[in-house]
Amino acid sequence: MLLEMEKITKSYGNVTANSDVCFTLRKGEIHALVGENGAGKTTLMRILYGMESPTSGEIRLDGKGVSFASPADAIAHKIGMVHQHFMLFPTFTIAENIVIGREPSKGIGFDRQAAAATVEQLGKQFGMPVDPRKKVADCSLGLQQRVEILKVLHQGAEIIILDEPTGVLTPLEVGELLVAIKGLAAQGKSFILISHKLQEIMEIADRITVLRDGKVTGTVEAKDTDAEELSRLMVGRELIQLSRKAAGTGKPVLEADNVTINGARTKPLLGGVSLQVNEGEIVGIAGISGNGQSELIQAISGLMKIDGGSVKLLGQDVTGATVKTIRERGLAHIPEDRYQWGVAKDATVMENGLMGHAGKHQRYGVLSGPGIRSMVGEWVSRFGIKTGSLSTKAQYLSGGNLQKLIVARELAQKTPFLIAAEPTRGVDVGAMEIIHGELLKKRDEGGAILLVSSELTEILKLSDRILVMFEGRIVGELAADHATEEQISLLMAGGKAVG
Amino acid sequence: MDKRVSFIRSLLQPLLAVIVGLAAGAVAIAVVGGSVLETYAEMWKGAFGSFYFFTNTLSRATPIILIGLGVALAFRAGFFNMGSEGQMVLGALSAAITALYLPGPAWLKLVAALVAGIISGGIWSAFAGWLDAKYRMNLLITTLLLNYIATLFAGYIVSYPLKDRTGSAAMAQTMMIDKSVWLPKLFKGMSLHGGFLIAAVCAILLFLFMRYTLKGYEIRMLGGNPLFASYGGVQRGKMMLLSMFASGGFAGLAGSIEVLGTQYRYLDGALTTPGYAWSGIMATLLAGSHPLGTAVAAILLAALQTGGMGMERNTEVPLEVSSIIQAVLILFVSAKITYSFIKRRKARS
Amino acid sequence: MDQLFDVSLFASTLRLVTPILLAALGGALCARVGLFNVGLEGLVLIGAFSAIVGNHFTGNVLSAVLFAILCSLLFSVLFGYMSIHLRANVIVVGIALNFLALGLTTFSLRAIFDVKGAYYNKDMVGLPKWDIPLLKDIPWLGDVLSGHSPLVYLSILIVILLQLFLFKTVTGFRLLAAGENATAAKSLGIKVTRIQYGAVLMCGVLCGLAGAQLSLGNVTMFTEGMTSGRGFIALVATMLGQSNPLGVAASSLLFGFMDALSIRLQGFALPTHFTMMLPYVVTIAAMLFFKDKGYMQEARKANESSR
Repeated sequence: MLLEMEKITKSYGNVTANSDVCFTLRKGEIHALVGENGAGKTTLMRILYGMESPTSGEIRLDGKGVSFASPADAIAHKIGMVHQHFMLFPTFTIAENIVIGREPSKGIGFDRQAAAATVEQLGKQFGMPVDPRKKVADCSLGLQQRVEILKVLHQGAEIIILDEPTGVLTPLEVGELLVAIKGLAAQGKSFILISHKLQEIMEIADRITVLRDGKVTGTVEAKDTDAEELSRLMVGRELIQLSRKAAGTGKPVLEADNVTINGARTKPLLGGVSLQVNEGEIVGIAGISGNGQSELIQAISGLMKIDGGSVKLLGQDVTGATVKTIRERGLAHIPEDRYQWGVAKDATVMENGLMGHAGKHQRYGVLSGPGIRSMVGEWVSRFGIKTGSLSTKAQYLSGGNLQKLIVARELAQKTPFLIAAEPTRGVDVGAMEIIHGELLKKRDEGGAILLVSSELTEILKLSDRILVMFEGRIVGELAADHATEEQISLLMAGGKAVG
Repeated sequence: MDKRVSFIRSLLQPLLAVIVGLAAGAVAIAVVGGSVLETYAEMWKGAFGSFYFFTNTLSRATPIILIGLGVALAFRAGFFNMGSEGQMVLGALSAAITALYLPGPAWLKLVAALVAGIISGGIWSAFAGWLDAKYRMNLLITTLLLNYIATLFAGYIVSYPLKDRTGSAAMAQTMMIDKSVWLPKLFKGMSLHGGFLIAAVCAILLFLFMRYTLKGYEIRMLGGNPLFASYGGVQRGKMMLLSMFASGGFAGLAGSIEVLGTQYRYLDGALTTPGYAWSGIMATLLAGSHPLGTAVAAILLAALQTGGMGMERNTEVPLEVSSIIQAVLILFVSAKITYSFIKRRKARS
Repeated sequence: MDQLFDVSLFASTLRLVTPILLAALGGALCARVGLFNVGLEGLVLIGAFSAIVGNHFTGNVLSAVLFAILCSLLFSVLFGYMSIHLRANVIVVGIALNFLALGLTTFSLRAIFDVKGAYYNKDMVGLPKWDIPLLKDIPWLGDVLSGHSPLVYLSILIVILLQLFLFKTVTGFRLLAAGENATAAKSLGIKVTRIQYGAVLMCGVLCGLAGAQLSLGNVTMFTEGMTSGRGFIALVATMLGQSNPLGVAASSLLFGFMDALSIRLQGFALPTHFTMMLPYVVTIAAMLFFKDKGYMQEARKANESSR
């Protein structure tokens, strides 16, 4: 056995991220590690890569016990990791990004010529050609992924950890990546693949280990299992089927017409996006992140100035209006990144809850303490937000609880229109069910919701209509009842809709 | 229970800082060959030893409090306003000019002079805010550089066009303001004047404003996370101009009160040499931008300075020991920020 | 005008640019590893004062400069410890250090020399003036470029060395990497903390040299707060030069020239107040052309989702 991790336990205070996890890897094997968000996959791999040290347990390489104090130790033992968020230097060239840490040198000088030659050769050897002199900032995400893998290979890795490698790739790029991985495995490299996309895993993995709540719920040979068994092992119970009423055909609430935002380069960030959201309807925007969704949200909510087109809310023109005005006219907004946009970390739960509601709770500019307290207190009990008190600082709340607070705050606006951007990113299954339920409830009560999500399953589950964005444009519209994952994937990659 | 513990903790920190500061001062005193106890006794006497010295300390604290409040407001909104000195100087100059040349009854002149001080300090400060909002020029640096321009400009005004040519001394100063326009003294024969009351009221008002009003809330959120604030509908540019204006207004008020209550004219260097502006910034840092805390810290710093003067009168130890103590206090402030960081990290894991 | 733009104006530009340039290079190094060093002013002040102290006690210019370097170095260790190790807010630490430097020098001036405000001693030896052979014989150019203190020439050398270091060596490459994406650099086993300390210490050395040039090169005395904002002007030079040594040198040259011009203009019938304003006005005007990162980016960085 090439790698054995035995009885790995990792706890943070009273939270246990991994408990008695056993994991093995054979040479030349592709071993997938699957589980829900927060199941402990990433923690386990961070331990293997020397970024965390286990509370207890043992790691053996070729039968010999090892312990890694830092990633450098892991790299020295021929373990490499490609992180979910790429660890690249955008202003550096591809060659520089690949050789960093073990640069070819002439004396104290950095031999960039040799670096470029090495990288070119490396790319050829492993069937992943690259242009070594290109800046990484100018590369597509698929190419950046390739750079990451070449970097790990250049470090001499025999064991390669890939953390959610396909999350940001187009289906075409995913295909290329899977082929590349198989090729490398055939050359004797071993892979650990963290993913929650069961289809890909069934396609490529030799063995699969499932984690749930920090524990191993099963290790199976891929040929002996199927997606149903895996999802049962992952979730541990049947998911509640959400009941959906048919969408009503209400009046238009949001009308965006030909919204354009010019980019710094030739390509526009938003190239004439038109869309409409009606009463009692959830419109889902699918797309690989970075294809203009953030800009669209910011354009509609007034956070970004638009260069062309118009936005109407309830029939009134709000193009170029301030965020405040648009909110007053009837927009609420669950932001895509809760830490960047959604909260002030040093402020209390109550203060964070007050944002956007302050106008209602003041008289002559003085805020009313008891009113705010009862409002936020009610959300805390209704959504089951776990917090010490209303005066606890937001930074002490877990991601899921913080997200519930934000969702509660925005739903409580009771506005006719809601933008829900990545409403369940990084939250546990329980919180996800609550949030999905609340969104559907709002829709059933006649609310209009624009749902932006990079999770296809979420889009398919909640939307009545689906729009697909690619490179700042809407490239397709599908009715949710007839849409399939394949159709949407194709559109997301810039292909044409068929059928 | 939880609250009480954290309250005591928040007191403990500054107290510890003061102790360490005094210890560093003791080392400095010993280095120059003074007796530590005797020196500190003289220092205490110089600051609080008698009613006269006490009021003297409070009167020195007055501009420091006001400046500190202004800086605290800006810091809370997330803006590093380092331009208090220039804002104070321009405020003082405008106040002096208004009090000297505006026709009308004395009370009107007094009020107009105070208002003029606030407005000119505020505009100078808001100018830096505008440069940041419009041209993205780093506020910290522009405010610092604008200090030099403001003091040189004021120096020019009182050296040439508005120079007092009546007296025999060739000082760069304006004429003396008529006695009827002076801020009244609070006690006969003492230096403490009505300005201290204004400063105290300002501290309480700012505290209430930040804590209980809508605008105060918006300012705090803006300082906490500007993206969150703008997402919630707070307009950063507008708030920046507003809070920078208010911040500079406090500094301008400090300058005008100093002119109308102590100097009775604008004298070049009279406001910059004692370092009021920098003491004000230090007070803010010490108190973590809390308005009431800033006022207390300002009195503490003023006491260090008046105490230092008393010490210098009666011992061989130089006044500058005070600046050592101040500097160490400030270092502790950074450590305080660090302390809360470590606390946060512990809580997370 | 002939009178204004003469040889001595350009010669004094070179002299006056040196402290700004050295400090700005230090600032650039710090900026390259992601630390915005507002404490340059204080570091230079410490350097200026300790150079005088070293000179006073040893009577030797070289050891005076070394002493200045040592003191600024100690001070920068403090900056590094607080901002890197304890991760305190860099700007607050910088401001605090400026206060500390001012307080310490004021006190020590009194404690060591028993004077207030300024210390001057006619027996004190300043930095020597080097006449460069061959160069000094070239008309005009020789008068401008020759006859300066060794630190002036050293600063030019440092610009070139730093440029080569950053863009041609492995260590420089890693320094750039640490500044560009510290998390990524750490994940590759690059010792980011060590690199940051290195940059901060180097900044201390450069500021020590800047201080020595200020108090022993341009004049031979120390006045309280004699940096009078040069540290901050250097910071602007760092920003304008985009933390590239050559760029920093170019922008420092502009500010040094303004400094020289401001002194020069005092000989003319203009009120000194306005001539003295010149460097500050020009610095602010120059900032118009440099867009700060903007609060959006800052805030994004400060509130990254991966906590």
